[in-house]
Amino acid sequence: MCFKFLSASVSLALLAVTPASAQSDTVTIWSWNVAASALKSTLEGFNKKYPDIKVTVHDLGNDQVFDKTLAACAAGGDGLPDIVTVENFEAELFWSRFPDCFTDLTALGYTSEKQALFPDFKRTELEMDGIAYAAPWDSGPVAVFYRRDFYEKAGVDPATIKNWDDFIAAGKKVMAANPGTVMAQADFNGDSEWFRMIANEQGCGYFSTDGQSITINQPACVATLEKIKEMKDAGIITAAIWDEKIQANTAGKAASQMYGAWYEGTIRSGSPDLSGKWGVYPMPSLTEDGPHAANLGGSSLAISSVSENKEAAWKFIDYALTTNEGQVTMLKSFGLVPSLLSAIDDPFVKEPQPYWGGQTIWSDILATLPKIVPSRGTPFQSDADAIYMATQTKYFAGGYPDAKAALDDAAKQIETATGLPLAE
Amino acid sequence: MPSRNRVAYAFLAPYLLIFATFWVWPIISSFLLSFQNTRVNPWRFQPSLNWGRLVADPAFYNALYNTLIILVIQVPVMIALATVMAVLLNSPLLKARPLYRFAFFAPVVVGEVAYAAVFRLMFSADFGIINKLITSIGFAPVSWFDNATAAMILIIIAVTWRWAGYNAIIILAGLQSIPGDVYEAATLDRVSKRQQFLHITLPLLKPIILFCAVLSVIGTMQLFTEPFLITNRGGPGGGTETLGLLLYRQGFTSLNFGYASAIAYTIAALAIAISLLNLWVAREPK
Repeated sequence: MCFKFLSASVSLALLAVTPASAQSDTVTIWSWNVAASALKSTLEGFNKKYPDIKVTVHDLGNDQVFDKTLAACAAGGDGLPDIVTVENFEAELFWSRFPDCFTDLTALGYTSEKQALFPDFKRTELEMDGIAYAAPWDSGPVAVFYRRDFYEKAGVDPATIKNWDDFIAAGKKVMAANPGTVMAQADFNGDSEWFRMIANEQGCGYFSTDGQSITINQPACVATLEKIKEMKDAGIITAAIWDEKIQANTAGKAASQMYGAWYEGTIRSGSPDLSGKWGVYPMPSLTEDGPHAANLGGSSLAISSVSENKEAAWKFIDYALTTNEGQVTMLKSFGLVPSLLSAIDDPFVKEPQPYWGGQTIWSDILATLPKIVPSRGTPFQSDADAIYMATQTKYFAGGYPDAKAALDDAAKQIETATGLPLAE
Repeated sequence: MPSRNRVAYAFLAPYLLIFATFWVWPIISSFLLSFQNTRVNPWRFQPSLNWGRLVADPAFYNALYNTLIILVIQVPVMIALATVMAVLLNSPLLKARPLYRFAFFAPVVVGEVAYAAVFRLMFSADFGIINKLITSIGFAPVSWFDNATAAMILIIIAVTWRWAGYNAIIILAGLQSIPGDVYEAATLDRVSKRQQFLHITLPLLKPIILFCAVLSVIGTMQLFTEPFLITNRGGPGGGTETLGLLLYRQGFTSLNFGYASAIAYTIAALAIAISLLNLWVAREPK
């Protein structure tokens, strides 16, 4: 344990030589993968407006940004860059353990008018006690990605799939018409994404929206778990981790996948040969006229408290995140879905997408943003998630009489692990 | 202190200083941490919080159970296998011995990340060669990664593959230190090869095998890489989560250093207890 810390801080010390101190208007950013590339794609437009501010994006990889930020905050902020990328579900962990490590953005120009540009579900984790620790960046409105050709062969019209029972019936038809395929895949090995997506759609989550009580055994969550087991038992969803889902997509073995809309880029770049064969439809609901909107994943940008160029750093965040120009550039270049509500009015969003068979997927997907119910990550997210996954595995294997008993047990375990009370 | 010693200690000082800073202090510090609530800001002294949770935490008992299952099944199987491999390697009938010795030892040299990736591919439920073999002889395919029992078997196979050869080489060295005239005398007395193995080889090898067992026990108590990489962080649903993984998850995913420290001390205490038990069981009869 001490070794990991040691190596993290040594590499941090090496890294600390480059950023911040050099010039008065350089801004350094830690980010990862496509997110880092997307940020770089906004620099051209940004430097037209602010030619004097030099922005450097370091692509360190997702785990590295988390580990290094953690180590740096534990060391009093030493070596942090000006801007750090923080994933929303991890965000509260940082604010609650290291509140002094980040700058209150409201003091820099993140006014309440600007905050209102973003949907509530993106802001719940980023603002605490009137302090805005980070500004929302991308989000993951959930959608079902499907193979048009497989559905057509089975005579299934996705517009008729309104609830999960329709999805099961359609799945049986699709799998009968296309031997060797599966309707959809879920990561029952190392993730809980299906539960989190459907539960969020139904307005339920591990914790209440104020983060003060445990709600995992509420009726909507129980109904969600029951339905997932029903789908698994019907054989229309099988277990597959992230990589295996991509393999199945490319090999034509999956008829659909459900994920946050950022999965668009993964399908498009992972299976370029299948252009025109994929489409998108809204996620089914538990009831006939139930909600169809949920969120999975997404990040935000925070300014470190040790930054010497807070104003310049805010100018960049302001440009990249609160303007259509910045957000839509990142949507175009790397498929990062804007949290910014006004992005739906951008001409690009309304354009039909050739890869998706000419469907206007972005306006379809972004239209769900205002309907998404907040789902609080809380500092206890990873504990609760691990407990949920263990319960899910045991429930699938017949270890509980029913879903209610399973989630009651999960709720009790989360209570032990976090000290939070069960919701009434 | 005589001046001679003082000079010696002066030379040792840089090492002792580093040892104290990076070994002794963290050990004390994490002991103190285990009594603190590290999930509030600032940290608070709350002695019963972490230890109380440890006693009641199903995740801890699950990790303990998984670790002990590996300990009870994998370690004896591997040591037995290593002994057989060592005896075969020691056979005078064997040609090209250095080649085999290297082949058995090679898995230790292979990087953990690389072999984990290969195991994942081989055991993939849909595309893996292992399931192809299983179905070709008429059995149903096994979903290695989403069935907790199958995942545990997979971890045991992987760890055994990696470490059996290493132990075999150590045991081989022990075999070669047994003087040949003991066997010669036994052969003259018409003792069968099997009897020789049971009554000469095994008793003389006992200290070596014990050494391997203690090493393997400590290794298993700290088992981390295989369940982290092969079964996706101890999946499915904690089915292969070991104590080492639980410690990592609490410390570096949940940022709960206090609880992680309590787990760390428990692991260390268990490793010591089991090693002592090992030595006691195999003690020399008085």
